[in-house]
Amino acid sequence: MKPLLQKSAVWFAYLGVLLGLPLLFDSILAITIFNQMAIAIIFALSYNMLLGQGGMLSFGHAVYFGLGGFMAVHTLVMIEYETVYFSIIYIPLIGGLIGLLAAIFIGSFSTHKAGTVFAMISLGIGELVAASSLIFVSFFGGEAGVNADRTYGPPFFGVEFFQDVEIYYLAAVWVFIATLFMYLFTQTPAGRMANAVRDNPERAEFIGYSARRVRFISFCASGFFAGIAGGLFALNYEFITEENLNAVTSGRVLLMAYIGGLGYFIGPIIGAVILTLMNSLLSNYTELWMLYLGIMFVLTVLFLPRGFAGFIMMHRTAWIRGKLRSLLLPYLITGVPALLFATAGVAMIEMLHHEGEAFHFLGLPLDSANLLHWLLCAVVATFAYLGCKRTLPQLQEAWESANAIDEAGEERERS
Amino acid sequence: MSMLSLQNVSKQFGETRIIRDVSLDITPGERHAIIGPNGAGKSTLFHLISGKYQPTSGKILFRNEEIQGKTPFAIARLGLARSFQVTNIFPRLSVFENIRCGLLWKEGFGYSFWHLLGRQGELNAKARELLVEIGLADRADYPAGELAYAQQRALELGIAIASGADLIMLDEPVAGMSHSEAESAVALIRKITEGKTLIMVEHDMNIVFDVADRISVLVYGEIIASDTPTAIRANPKVQEAYLGEVPTASTDSISDEKPEDIDGA
Repeated sequence: MKPLLQKSAVWFAYLGVLLGLPLLFDSILAITIFNQMAIAIIFALSYNMLLGQGGMLSFGHAVYFGLGGFMAVHTLVMIEYETVYFSIIYIPLIGGLIGLLAAIFIGSFSTHKAGTVFAMISLGIGELVAASSLIFVSFFGGEAGVNADRTYGPPFFGVEFFQDVEIYYLAAVWVFIATLFMYLFTQTPAGRMANAVRDNPERAEFIGYSARRVRFISFCASGFFAGIAGGLFALNYEFITEENLNAVTSGRVLLMAYIGGLGYFIGPIIGAVILTLMNSLLSNYTELWMLYLGIMFVLTVLFLPRGFAGFIMMHRTAWIRGKLRSLLLPYLITGVPALLFATAGVAMIEMLHHEGEAFHFLGLPLDSANLLHWLLCAVVATFAYLGCKRTLPQLQEAWESANAIDEAGEERERS
Repeated sequence: MSMLSLQNVSKQFGETRIIRDVSLDITPGERHAIIGPNGAGKSTLFHLISGKYQPTSGKILFRNEEIQGKTPFAIARLGLARSFQVTNIFPRLSVFENIRCGLLWKEGFGYSFWHLLGRQGELNAKARELLVEIGLADRADYPAGELAYAQQRALELGIAIASGADLIMLDEPVAGMSHSEAESAVALIRKITEGKTLIMVEHDMNIVFDVADRISVLVYGEIIASDTPTAIRANPKVQEAYLGEVPTASTDSISDEKPEDIDGA
């Protein structure tokens, strides 16, 4: 009973955070970002059903997101003209069903094999759908996309969804439901066999399961939830274009899931939050945010192959042994020069970008024409690098002693 | 009625005939060993029976039902389980999950996405029981890929047993094990295959002559003899196939590394 209680506590906390966020940050910008996060969380979690849990690397996941979104916008238009008439709170479900239908059709031939074959088919389908979106103009609206007005539906308990914050609460509920169901899916025979097929498709066949069928089920579920995210997108922006089902969107969801951590259920949530923040905040400060995103992705792949969630989980042993605090100081000692190094590096990249003009970087006036500024950055970077290198062994030592296996610790960990 | 019956089974890869006209009958409850020099086609024979390969000609009957041409998962559902020459587990799942996955189909869960595994008391109890039986109960929550080699082999055996199969096929279950590991592996095999039919490929003659009721000798894709251990030992054709050496009960062969069968690659 106790673990059940603990588990529900986590879910209540999750719901609490989702519903409480707009109370803490109520600016228009914040609500805009929260809406993007909500969409990204569902989308990234659905992607991880494929890659993290099912071992299927997809380069075309935006197809299900986009198709769901387009159908959702069309449904909004239908509501406007009263062809159909129901509350817009159900719109994400329409998106989900379209995502599911698309996944049933495409999955019927693409899930035959995992690995390269699957990846290539997903890429091809992605390109195909993106291309047809410019051909079938009546449905996809060409380059301009299609738009709608979400406020024509019947009010939901007096709410007419004029404001973004109203959409946010709707999105929060959908995020909660979708997250819960995606989590529960991992706890079912189909979800567990998806892991088994990821690990070893041959063995799965010899215990009675068709690897293809197992992949197909995950694929359909994934398409369904991606469609829900697309439906939410339609509600939030009231328009959708080809951009939302092309390779860029597919690539972004891959980044989110990967940076967050594929091996953990919570990973894509973290990734979605980080990337949305970078996308909306960093882009206010620099035009180069995509470059920094790329660098972050490469660094994550190289140094944190299990993503941010994996990085957090790395500390579990130390935490259980009550030694987390002993890591704090070493982290600071190495972290500060590391941060300094990154800052100096970024400053130089920005100077390259702002060639021949003065600009402000973190409040400091920098000018790429001024050799002294270059020199200063280089000196800071060099010293910071040396400082990092110097202190790294200490950090490693602290890490090892915090994680060192002693009998008592081992016992505690098991109990 | 025979448990498994091979009737004139042949397998060709291009021009190469790996299995030539093999016929074999295995009765329920029998412990049957297949021996033979490297490259004789022992693993191919296993792959043919379990559905990984399709025979070029001939019939394979499992409980009088033709199974040649069926997919591996369809054959597995009929009640035939196998282990592999190379360890074949689900490395990132926990030891417990490995066993539970093995149980799922037999327990009727199929592809269900409306049952929560945590709530299936009976299923979980069965998985735990099996873990105790294969001696991995204290490793239940470890990722299977982190187990020691002998433990992984035991786990693989557990997965095979979990499916509730009546016919168990083991491909070199003690290969690469130390003497003492092999001994306990054999004890485990005996214990958990009690009352089931067993077919095994094994190089260690000690174990073969110890475990098997009947032995078939496969040389260049042909079965040259199929008989009781005593008769096999005395068979001149077998002696000749082993280059004049009688397959003696030598002890040093247990940990011998052996190159993979050509078909095993």
